[in-house]
Amino acid sequence: MSILIKKLIINYPYFAAFIIFSIGALTVLKRSNLFKKLIGINIMESAIFLMFVASGNIRGGAVPISNNNNPQSLYINPLPSALMLTGIVVSVSVTAFALALILRLYRSYGTTDLRRISEMGNEVAE
Amino acid sequence: MTAAITANLPVFIIIAPLFVAFVLPTLAQRMRLVENLVISVEALMLFGACYLASIVLFQKGIPIIYQMGGWSAPWGIELKVGSLGAFFLLVIAIVSLPIALFARGNLTFEVGGKERRARFYVLYLLLVGALAGMALTNDLFNVYVLVEVATLSCCGLVSARNHPRAAKATFTYLILATLGSCLVMGGIGFIYIVTGHLNMGFASQELGRIWQNNPRVVWMAFSFMLVGFGVKSALFPLHVWLPDAHSVAPSPASAILSGLAVKGYLICLLKVLYNVFGHTLMQTYSVHKVLVLVGMVAIIAGSISALTQDDLKRRLAFSTVAQVGYIFLGFGLLNTKGLAGTLFYLASHAVIKSTLFLSAGAMLAVTGKKNIKDLSGIGRKMPVTTAAFTVSSLGLIGIPLFSGFVGKWHLLLGSFESDNILSVAVIIAGSVLCAAYLFPIIRIAYFESAPEKDWKDPNVPQKLALILLSIVIVVLGVVPGSLLELAGRAAAELLVLQ
Repeated sequence: MSILIKKLIINYPYFAAFIIFSIGALTVLKRSNLFKKLIGINIMESAIFLMFVASGNIRGGAVPISNNNNPQSLYINPLPSALMLTGIVVSVSVTAFALALILRLYRSYGTTDLRRISEMGNEVAE
Repeated sequence: MTAAITANLPVFIIIAPLFVAFVLPTLAQRMRLVENLVISVEALMLFGACYLASIVLFQKGIPIIYQMGGWSAPWGIELKVGSLGAFFLLVIAIVSLPIALFARGNLTFEVGGKERRARFYVLYLLLVGALAGMALTNDLFNVYVLVEVATLSCCGLVSARNHPRAAKATFTYLILATLGSCLVMGGIGFIYIVTGHLNMGFASQELGRIWQNNPRVVWMAFSFMLVGFGVKSALFPLHVWLPDAHSVAPSPASAILSGLAVKGYLICLLKVLYNVFGHTLMQTYSVHKVLVLVGMVAIIAGSISALTQDDLKRRLAFSTVAQVGYIFLGFGLLNTKGLAGTLFYLASHAVIKSTLFLSAGAMLAVTGKKNIKDLSGIGRKMPVTTAAFTVSSLGLIGIPLFSGFVGKWHLLLGSFESDNILSVAVIIAGSVLCAAYLFPIIRIAYFESAPEKDWKDPNVPQKLALILLSIVIVVLGVVPGSLLELAGRAAAELLVLQ
């Protein structure tokens, strides 16, 4: 048991990522408000970003900028952070697209609640 | 000049549609030009894909490696035109050209004015470019980016239909697909954490050496990848978004979504499973058994759900769920015959399902009704459309001389080889169920009296597209030839690794 707790404490960013991911996934699946679903998606994506960025961290590593006057033996890995920049861009575009869709749904149904939209679905259809 | 073009062909074939996609909005007022540009890009892609496929066939298994920006493998992004890549590229080009041709005649009805149609083509080309990228890429993070490009353009294509229900279906699709891509990204993250590589070849080597150090992380990576790509490719319990999205989308969009987009994710999954994890690791974790099991469940459940649908496009959409099951089943067979059959089945389903959706779209555009029972007697009024529908139905069921048969036959041989009698039974039962949900449509179309209405075959580009696709179905069924050879070689390459 103590080994498990020790591992959790050492790897706390991953543990945090797991908790944040679960919160996001639950929000997406349980909330019927469209905005809340979208926020849930964003929370989930943040958890994955956190996991990636944490995987690049090396304890005691320096910022990965080479400096000839003061050479370091240990640098943190900058690649995951760079990758997550792409991930953030993707997440922003998904959010923008989803917001546009919510706007269109609100204009035709007058509500942002997915359950009520589903109930109304057959009346508005065709 | 020509040497420079052929040397850079793998990247040109991805960039060309992406580039033209961003030029199109500026030409929205000149719709003829837009349509001609789209068709010519597709034709160029077909030409390039044939060229690459012939080189790959000629070289007998030595892949063409293209290094983006000249950075070599562990650091740079690599494009690899192996048998699998060339095969899927060829499928993309063969299917997307007729769909673009069909869209030319059909879009005004479901999408609307010039601006909206130009935007439809933007999304269409973005999707085609992303799929071509998925076929060729050899880098895990590149897979994620292309999957996202494809997902967003798929969602856009669904919402191109000017209807509130389209917006709702798109939202559900977007949320679930993003959930899927989060999982895929997580899976890529786990692989990166274990191996330190994003290049598939290097990651695979590292995994083979050191997976025992972190067996649980590898297990997590497997499950994230399976569920992530499962959501995206509508594997049975995760398919809830598909029937709405694919039935409400404009017909050309339904065709490319059901025919190609789903296959793109499946090809990515195939690459991750076999090129990164490798079949030995799959056996260690019993992933192949899971694949066969979920495939069988999807075949039966998808077919039965399809039987209960009265809406023509929804029935076809549920049929896609069942056919995805066949492909998952084939991924788990772990022998050359089964895998080659799966790849060929994937190709033939891409052609067949596109034809089905396009002909259904043409019928719905004329009758204005969505239900199957409203199609009575349409066979005599719209002979070309109904003939295309019939040919593709026969292909999907797996009647000999049509392309579906060749794939199913090899799948059956593969199942026999891996002594999996249950999956043989399920494949045959799936065919019977498929006949049960498609034959009634054909019977209603041909053998019931038609109402006194002015129904006519669609205009020339649409007819041409349907005829082209039907010819492909028959040709692939009679002489599968080099496409089957390419599939067989791709399967052998996937299994030989490690």
